[in-house]
Amino acid sequence: MTDFSLISNEALRGEIEEFVTRPAEIERNLRVFSRAHPRMQAIALAVIEGEHHLCDRLTREALEAGHVAIEVMDDGLIAGMGVVGIKFRENFIFVPEVLACARAMKSGMAHIEPILSASGVPPAGKVVMGTVKGDLHDIGKNLCIMMLRGAGFEVVDLGVDTAPDAFIDAVEESGARLVGMSALLTTTVPNMGRTIEAFIDAGLRDDVQIMVGGAPVTQEFADDMGADGYGKDALACVAEAKRLLGINA
Amino acid sequence: MDDRFIVIGENTHATRVLMRKSPRIVGGEGQEAIAFPGEDGTTLHLPVPDAVRRGQDFEEGRVKHIRIAILAGMGSDPAAARLGRAYITHVVRAQEAAGAHFLDLNVDEMSIRLDRQQAAMDWLVRCVQEISRLPLSVDSSNLEIIATGLAACAPGGPRPMVNSASLERLEALDLARDGRAAVVVTAAGEKGMPAGIDDRVANASRMVEAALARAIPPADIHIDPLIFPVSVDASFPGHALGAMRALRDRWGPEIHITGGFSNVSFGIPYRRAINDAFLRMAVEAGASSGIIDPVMNPPSRAFGMQPDTLAYRLAEDVLAGRDEHCRAYIGAWRRKEI
Repeated sequence: MTDFSLISNEALRGEIEEFVTRPAEIERNLRVFSRAHPRMQAIALAVIEGEHHLCDRLTREALEAGHVAIEVMDDGLIAGMGVVGIKFRENFIFVPEVLACARAMKSGMAHIEPILSASGVPPAGKVVMGTVKGDLHDIGKNLCIMMLRGAGFEVVDLGVDTAPDAFIDAVEESGARLVGMSALLTTTVPNMGRTIEAFIDAGLRDDVQIMVGGAPVTQEFADDMGADGYGKDALACVAEAKRLLGINA
Repeated sequence: MDDRFIVIGENTHATRVLMRKSPRIVGGEGQEAIAFPGEDGTTLHLPVPDAVRRGQDFEEGRVKHIRIAILAGMGSDPAAARLGRAYITHVVRAQEAAGAHFLDLNVDEMSIRLDRQQAAMDWLVRCVQEISRLPLSVDSSNLEIIATGLAACAPGGPRPMVNSASLERLEALDLARDGRAAVVVTAAGEKGMPAGIDDRVANASRMVEAALARAIPPADIHIDPLIFPVSVDASFPGHALGAMRALRDRWGPEIHITGGFSNVSFGIPYRRAINDAFLRMAVEAGASSGIIDPVMNPPSRAFGMQPDTLAYRLAEDVLAGRDEHCRAYIGAWRRKEI
C-alpha cells in the first residue's frame, strides 16, 4: 500500500511521488519519511533542492532542539541524498545539480561529524576508492564517493592514476574491508585485474571485497577479472558497497 | 567566423552510441539492425550481431554502431563485411560533407585486449584510406595502438595526425616525427591532469618545446589545453580559455590550438547551445582547430549563432562561471524557454 500522505512535508511528498518509481524504493522512502520528524523531512528536502545554506541552518537548529546526531544524519541528510541518487539515475537531474546537493549534504554533515567522532559512533563502513593506474579520469569516481559519503560511508579517496601498491597501502593503513576501483579507458581496465592480482600476491585478497565500475566496465569484465562486485552507476556503487559489507539497505 | 578553422572530425569511434529506441534501429526483437543509406541511395541494414545483443550495453538500450560496423567489416562473412565497410563509408561521407579536415579514428572500446584493439586499428585505417582522401587522426590512449595505426597509413597518402602526446607519453612525439605526422600535444602533466591556467600553459609549452626539438614544424602542432566539464566546476571553461590565450601569445600565429570542445558540456542537458557558445569563445581566445564531430556540432552553426538569444546568453553565463551549478541554464531548459 502506497499512502504518500504519511509524509507530512508537502514538497518532500511531491518529490517522492514524482521521481521515485520503483516499488521497492517507494516503499523504502515511505518507511523512512513517514516516521521522520518534520525537521528531518525539511533537512532532507534542503538536500534534495541543493540548498546548502538552508541545510546548514536546519541541521544546526535540529541539533540545538535536541535531536540526536544519528537521527539528523539518517532521517535527514542520508535519506535526502538517497532521493538525489534516484533522481540522478533516472536522468531527472544532472551533474551540477547533484554537486549542489552533495554540497548541501556536506554542510549538514559538518555539524554531525564532530559529534559522531566524539561519541565513538562508527561509520556505516569504510571504503578505499581510486581510479586505476594510467587513468586520470575522476568525475565518475567522485560521484560515487559523494553518494557513498551521502550514505554514511567513510571514504579514503586515492585520487587518479592509483598504483596497485597504493591501494594495498591504503587498505593496510585504514583497515578498510572494501576497495572500489574506477576506470574510464578500455586501455586501463586491465589494470583493475592487475590490482586484484597484486592483492592476491600480497596475501590480502581474502581480507577485502573489491568492486569495480566505470563507463567501459561491464559485469562480464568484472567477473573475468575476479572482482566481487560491479556497479554501473553511482547509486549501484552504494548498493554494492552495502551488499559486500553486509549492511542492510 | 573563420573558414581556416581545422576540424578534426571525431565520429569514427568505437564508443559511439545509438539508442535502441532510435528510429535508425529497425527490425523486431532478436532481428535488430541499423538502417543507413548506401552510396547509391538505397537503404541498407547492418545487423546487430548476437554477441552484441547479449551484451550489457544493448540490454541497457545502447547500440555501439561503429563498433558493430568494425566487427562486421573484420569478420569472415563476406556479405556482413561488405555491410560493415558500407556503414563506415556512410559515416566517413557524413564527416566529409560536414567539413572535416581530418578523420579521427579511435578503436579503444573494441576490446580490452591490446591485440584486438591493434587489429581493429589496422583494419580501420586501411578501410578508411580506401574510402577517403582525408588525412587520418590516429587516436588512442595507448601508444602501441597509435603505432599500429600509423604503420597502416599508406606511405604516399596524406600525412596523418597523432592524437595524442603528453608529458607522460613523450614517445608519441617520436612516432609523429618518424611518420611525418601532425600531432596533438596535451597539457596533461606527468602525474595527473593540470590544475588552472598556469599548469596548462607550463605543461603544454614543455610539449611544444619537445616537439620543436624533434623538428616537428609549428603548423603541425595542435595544442590541446584540456577542456574539463563546466558541470563539475564553473571555473573549468575559464581555465581552458585562459590557457588558450596565453599559449597563443607565447607560441605565435602558426601553431594550432585545439581541444575536445564538447567535453565542456558533459553532464548537462541541451549541450548544443553550450557547445556552440564555447566554440565561439575558444576561437576568440585563439583556437584554430577542434576535435569535434562536425555532423553534431558544425562550426558554421556556432559561428553563425545569434549572440542575442536567451540560449546564447545563458550558455555564456555558464561558461563564464556566472551561473553556479548551471541553475539558470538547466532551469530555463526545464521550463522549455531554451
